[in-house]
Amino acid sequence: MAPFNHDQISAAAWLACGGAIVWGSTGHGLGTMAAPGSGFITFVAGMGICLFAAIGLIEASLRQGKEGGWTPILKGVRWQITLLVLCALTAYALLLSPLGFILCTALFVGFMLRVVKPQGWLVVAAGGILAALGTYGIFELWLKAQLPKGPWGF
Amino acid sequence: MDFFQSVLMGFQVALQPGNLLFCFVGVLIGTLVGVLPGLGPVAAISLLLPTTFHITPVSAVIMLAGIYYGAMYGGSTTSILVNIPGEASSVVTCLDGYQMARRGRAGPALGISAFGSFIAGTLAVLGLMFVAPPLAEMALKFGPPEYFSLMIVGLTILTFLASGPMWKALLMACFGLFLGCMGMDSIMGTTRFTWDIVELSEGFGLVPVVMGLFGISEVLLNVEQAMERSVFETRIQNLFPTRKDWRDSMGAILRGSVIGFFLGILPGGGATISAFTAYAVERRVSRHPEKFGTGVIEGVAAPEAANNAATGGAFIPLLTLGIPTSATMAILLGALVIYGTQPGPMLIKEHPNLFWGVVASMYLGNFMLLVLNLPLIGLWVKVLKIPYPILFPLILLFCLIGAYSLNNNVAQILFMILFGFLGYLFKKFQYEAAPLVLAFVLGPMLEKALRRSLLHSGGDPAVFLTRPISAALLAIALALLLFPLIPKFKKKRPAFGE
Repeated sequence: MAPFNHDQISAAAWLACGGAIVWGSTGHGLGTMAAPGSGFITFVAGMGICLFAAIGLIEASLRQGKEGGWTPILKGVRWQITLLVLCALTAYALLLSPLGFILCTALFVGFMLRVVKPQGWLVVAAGGILAALGTYGIFELWLKAQLPKGPWGF
Repeated sequence: MDFFQSVLMGFQVALQPGNLLFCFVGVLIGTLVGVLPGLGPVAAISLLLPTTFHITPVSAVIMLAGIYYGAMYGGSTTSILVNIPGEASSVVTCLDGYQMARRGRAGPALGISAFGSFIAGTLAVLGLMFVAPPLAEMALKFGPPEYFSLMIVGLTILTFLASGPMWKALLMACFGLFLGCMGMDSIMGTTRFTWDIVELSEGFGLVPVVMGLFGISEVLLNVEQAMERSVFETRIQNLFPTRKDWRDSMGAILRGSVIGFFLGILPGGGATISAFTAYAVERRVSRHPEKFGTGVIEGVAAPEAANNAATGGAFIPLLTLGIPTSATMAILLGALVIYGTQPGPMLIKEHPNLFWGVVASMYLGNFMLLVLNLPLIGLWVKVLKIPYPILFPLILLFCLIGAYSLNNNVAQILFMILFGFLGYLFKKFQYEAAPLVLAFVLGPMLEKALRRSLLHSGGDPAVFLTRPISAALLAIALALLLFPLIPKFKKKRPAFGE
């Protein structure tokens, strides 16, 4: 059990986020009522976030005593897999241009097939290659999307 | 152009081979995503949005609309056979549909679901054809203050009907408003909150935002869970309902159609609430309410008719007022803007081929779904058996390619991953993304309407109260905000995920 509940933690984070938006908006100029500035609407949005986050924080704190804490959001789930998928997605974005679409995609799909619920190497290799070639065919050859090519020309 | 000429023109557009093909592709993909739990129409439309940039706007909207109402058909299959709703709107179908399957009546359950959906979908399209044009005529009288107030009502109703505490929905709407207004200020010509990142000069794009919030986040949540599911093993036979089945269901289908259509028009009403309401009404009017939940055919027919009719109703505020009533409609609105078509009262006048073409395609699409669904049920059952560990890399791959192909820029992928992670956190902390997306899409329009109103009135905020339509709309928004404070209604909001 953690000392704060979900809503207390998230509302506090929102309060900080709303505060940052309000502060940032003043830098863009709020203007006047007759001629609202660039920061006017984002200022209003930031104030709204602060207001509702404050309401949430108060409501969650009043609830706190009755509920007695919360179960951490990562408890009982395979969060490591989620982290790996996030890392793989980021790696795909960063390696797409240097490696080219086909190689990068084959590696990505193969990695995903191997990591979440490990498949045999044949499925991994075939899945990676087929997915890469299939999507290349659909997007590059049929829909004429310009997918990046690596140093090998594909 | 009179009504019948318009309808005829719509069919001429919809029957063009290319449009027929895209309609077919749309309903096929829609049924597929409806069948697959964890991948809904919002994610599917987000995924396919970039691919539609290469085709004409009419074909694109025909296909995207097909995905939307096709998913409603497909969602029932999983509800009946697996007891897992493919869509939130099919949750209530599980109650009697799965029980029917367990008693060896999976065939009639699937059959009445398909026929009921077809009848309701067709009635809803008829309603759309009759209601939309006069509503659009009326909306031509709207100026910036009325539009501002209308958008406030849209946001308020959606947040009011979203599940979980209201402060969360309103907070998400404010955050969506902020995100939508990032980038270029179209009035002053300056940029806001771009932190010198060139790719942010136009703000976040709709596609990376929705793909991340609905597609990536769903995968991130699914992969951390055990991913086993079993399909109820039964022989599916006698898909055509018997005469008694028809007698029992016809009233339910008609009532469900009316309820779905009108609730679909309301912002936030949508297919899910329609299905639940239709089920509740059916139970109330039934001569044997105690049998509901044990496998009665009306319990399948009513919600399936309602959720399909709601999709037709949902197009009315989008196409006539430019106001989306759900996340899916918000994405469609964004898509129309990307295609260079401004949804709103002028749409029917300026782009009659688009409006009437899409409406006519919905007739044809409903017919295609009926023809497609009944013979292909065996195939959908096989699709259900595809293991998620094989499926999810492909979902991710489509997201990645979709984001990249927006403007061949890796930054869009990174933005999508960022929103995917945010969407994951939102779900963990029980914040709904729908109000955010709606406000994100409406944000720039709302800002423009607000600033134009204030500029024209010389900075007098009373302009929103002195114009009768605007004042009435704001009064509705205020009433909706205060409504939950009434003790009697305080505990009526559904919990997150309900």
